[in-house]
Amino acid sequence: MTETGVGARLPRKEDDRYLRGRGQYVADIKLPGMKDVAFLRSPIAHGRIRAIRIPGKWRDSVFTAEDLEGVKPIRAVCALPGFKPSEQPPLASGKVRQVGELLAMCVAETRAEAEDIAAEVEVDFEELPAVVDMLAARAADAPLVHEEWGDNVFLETLIDADLDPVKERAPIRVTREIRTARQCMMPIEGRGVVAAWDTRREQLVVHSAAQMPHITRTGLAECLGLDHGQIRVVSPDVGGGFGYKGILLPEEVCLSWLARHLDHPVRWIEDRREHLTASANCREHHYLITAYAEADGTLLAIDAEATVDSGAYSIYPFTACLEAAQIGSILPGPYDFPVYRCRTWSVASNKSPIMPYRGVARTGVCFAMELILDAVAREAGVEPYEVRLKNLVPPEAMPFDNITNKHFDSGDYPESLRRAVQAIGLAAVRERQARGEPDGRLIGVGFAIYCEQAAHGTSVYSGWGIPMVPGHEQATARITPDGGLELRVGVQSHGQGMETTLAQVANQILGIDPGKVKLVHGDTEYTPYSTGTWGSRCMVMAGGAVAAACRELAGRVARIGAHLLQVPAEEVTVGGGKVQGDSGSVGIDEVAKAWYLRPQDLPEDVDPGGLEITAGYKPKRDTGTFSYASHAVIVAVDSELGAVEILDYAVVEDGGTLVNPMIVEGQIRGGAAQGIGTALYEEMPFDGAGQPLASTLADYLIPGPTELPDFRIQHMETPSPYTEFGVKGIGEGGAIAPPAAIANAVNDALRPLGAEVAESPITPQRLLAAIAAARGSAGDGAP
Amino acid sequence: MTGKSVSLTVNGHAVTATVEPRTHLADFLREQLLLTGTHLGCEHGVCGACTVEIDGEIARSCITFAVTCDGARIRTIEGFDDDPVMDRLRRAFTEEHGLQCGYCTPGMLIAARDIVTRLPTADPRRIRVELSGNLCRCTGYQ
Repeated sequence: MTETGVGARLPRKEDDRYLRGRGQYVADIKLPGMKDVAFLRSPIAHGRIRAIRIPGKWRDSVFTAEDLEGVKPIRAVCALPGFKPSEQPPLASGKVRQVGELLAMCVAETRAEAEDIAAEVEVDFEELPAVVDMLAARAADAPLVHEEWGDNVFLETLIDADLDPVKERAPIRVTREIRTARQCMMPIEGRGVVAAWDTRREQLVVHSAAQMPHITRTGLAECLGLDHGQIRVVSPDVGGGFGYKGILLPEEVCLSWLARHLDHPVRWIEDRREHLTASANCREHHYLITAYAEADGTLLAIDAEATVDSGAYSIYPFTACLEAAQIGSILPGPYDFPVYRCRTWSVASNKSPIMPYRGVARTGVCFAMELILDAVAREAGVEPYEVRLKNLVPPEAMPFDNITNKHFDSGDYPESLRRAVQAIGLAAVRERQARGEPDGRLIGVGFAIYCEQAAHGTSVYSGWGIPMVPGHEQATARITPDGGLELRVGVQSHGQGMETTLAQVANQILGIDPGKVKLVHGDTEYTPYSTGTWGSRCMVMAGGAVAAACRELAGRVARIGAHLLQVPAEEVTVGGGKVQGDSGSVGIDEVAKAWYLRPQDLPEDVDPGGLEITAGYKPKRDTGTFSYASHAVIVAVDSELGAVEILDYAVVEDGGTLVNPMIVEGQIRGGAAQGIGTALYEEMPFDGAGQPLASTLADYLIPGPTELPDFRIQHMETPSPYTEFGVKGIGEGGAIAPPAAIANAVNDALRPLGAEVAESPITPQRLLAAIAAARGSAGDGAP
Repeated sequence: MTGKSVSLTVNGHAVTATVEPRTHLADFLREQLLLTGTHLGCEHGVCGACTVEIDGEIARSCITFAVTCDGARIRTIEGFDDDPVMDRLRRAFTEEHGLQCGYCTPGMLIAARDIVTRLPTADPRRIRVELSGNLCRCTGYQ
């Protein structure tokens, strides 16, 4: 490891502009003549549009579905058998299917004036009963979100097995009904679009707070009927994404159309109310799960039914079924057991489309699986970690193909759990529990472990058959005339620090100072096509591509450098920013000068490709890397007030080779903070009419500084056998385990009361209801 | 809407401008003065991304009307470029990886500068309490 290469805790190159308020986010872009757009949105969850009345004076400032001639609806189809596609019109036409659906766009000099206009547009609705509860949505008499389907199910999947033999002999059988609430992603910057038509280049330029700009361009091209060459998508600085900014929004289609049809640029910046009530919804799973086990807790079978509330429309490019169908394939987690049955439903409702949020289905899956394992442990009368140790895939079995054919690449899952037990001091907690707390609170300790498939490639995604299948990731590396390096990648960095980590990768190979490496990203005009930033894939895929490009570049640099040194090319090496021969060296800047400015100094047989390479990369296996972590937490529960305080939190994770441990730790902490939000605070509730009830940050609570612990993190570094440097994707992992670990800790604390929670977030109301239910059932003499 | 004339000092410069009564200070700074380092996260006074200094005290510019700032001294993140305390904070934020996407960062820094100058002996718990008016979705505040 060098001080600036792979493995270094290099401070981030991008920090300075952010620390001086000089980042450039989409809302900061001002174009000459630009006007603002405000959307008129549906105030009801489900209804037919009878009429939209626009006051005469605003006729030229307001646009409805009728105006968008030739614009196609957003259609995200999945090839899994039985999938029913939806069509999401950019502006509602005929019917609205969620509160916040776009009805009209209003254009004015300022957003405030545009909102004034929107307030004057009248809409007549024939209101229809709304589908709000995902379980009720499957009832035969439920109202239909999409009438033509005949039911409300996007997709049903089944992984079948014969459970009868297990049912007959299993000494332990536990069943739980488990739920995770609907949430919002809540990056502090929302979405936003600045769109303009470039008359010189005959090109639509869309600045968008987008984490997958190339996919946004492909989606826009389909909806607008434009060639890819007629669209440029630019992602400037982006203020956090977490999945939300990977989705093609109807607002992007609308603004793009508008920019093409008006003679000035247009801007729409999502406000927090729009974010919460109209768009950024995620999670919302329901499980009915049964575990069968031996008396010692060894799993015999898992049988589950899982439902995901997918909302009104199938989102582009991930579709409405990614979440639920993934549940089927990843519910077994890091465990090895012989019999598995799982049926899933992706259900349509009159709510915002559900979108993949950091961890995607894994947070819910981990919650369900880890809660049921604790229930098994209670039944078996052993420590929860002991049950896990009996069932985790052991290190000697790696690489391991699990029951759903997931290929776990490497690692020592039991060791990470043992270290977490050590780190949290389990024995001391048990002693403390026996003593009791002076303040009367109940102490509990909980564990959760997961493995996370990341950077999954063609073989995984072609099976889903969604609009986007990742192939080779490409990067361009170009040495500049002064010996600097320019890297171009199709992924987008919005907090992950890739301007630094990809420079570290280049530095590892070429030795060029990271300060002289410039990353170009987030612009379809200048970067190779990429599916973008999602699925914890960038360090593996873009990192691998940058390494591949730099290696090829090193070969060309070596040949020119050897010529300048007047030695055979085989006798030189490239590194440390120079070409080293036996008796001397020449800097890469001298090589660059020769190529660009003094070609007369080049060898006769110089590679005419010069000092610029676009290289492609795929790991040796494209089934994904499997990072994993054990989370351990101690909580104090106030059984009178229902409050939960986190007293200590430890994470033992294995992300393979860490390119920049400082950044990895930041990702883990930030992810875990979001996971604590999922566990204890965050919920987007709806009333029976489908009205979202959290429309401000006073209603939708995300963790602040006082809600979070100092996370203690330990690394294990088991390199992936399949990737460049052995890197594994870890960006989402932190958000996966906290709800499970915290719920298990709360249930550990509640054991003396015989109460158990099985729904997130664990609000005071839910906690007190669980205690009351336990007291009630205790009165009945039930267990 | 009819505008009103306001005169104020922004980052040491005298500014006279016409603003609508309903325009909040953050929009005025961003749209009229092009000081885009002040970020908007919620526009209802919860997230703290828009934190600026008004007459030496930190305030949320999204729930402060620009017309009420007549005669006031405003300092935004751009006005702290040469401030020695802010310089140390910037270094600390980088060294401790206290920022990721950078969106909450200007508000975080202005609030942090207020805390370290007003409460130089604050313990970690007190600092967390004092910082609780600023939300960050990336870092976990550690």
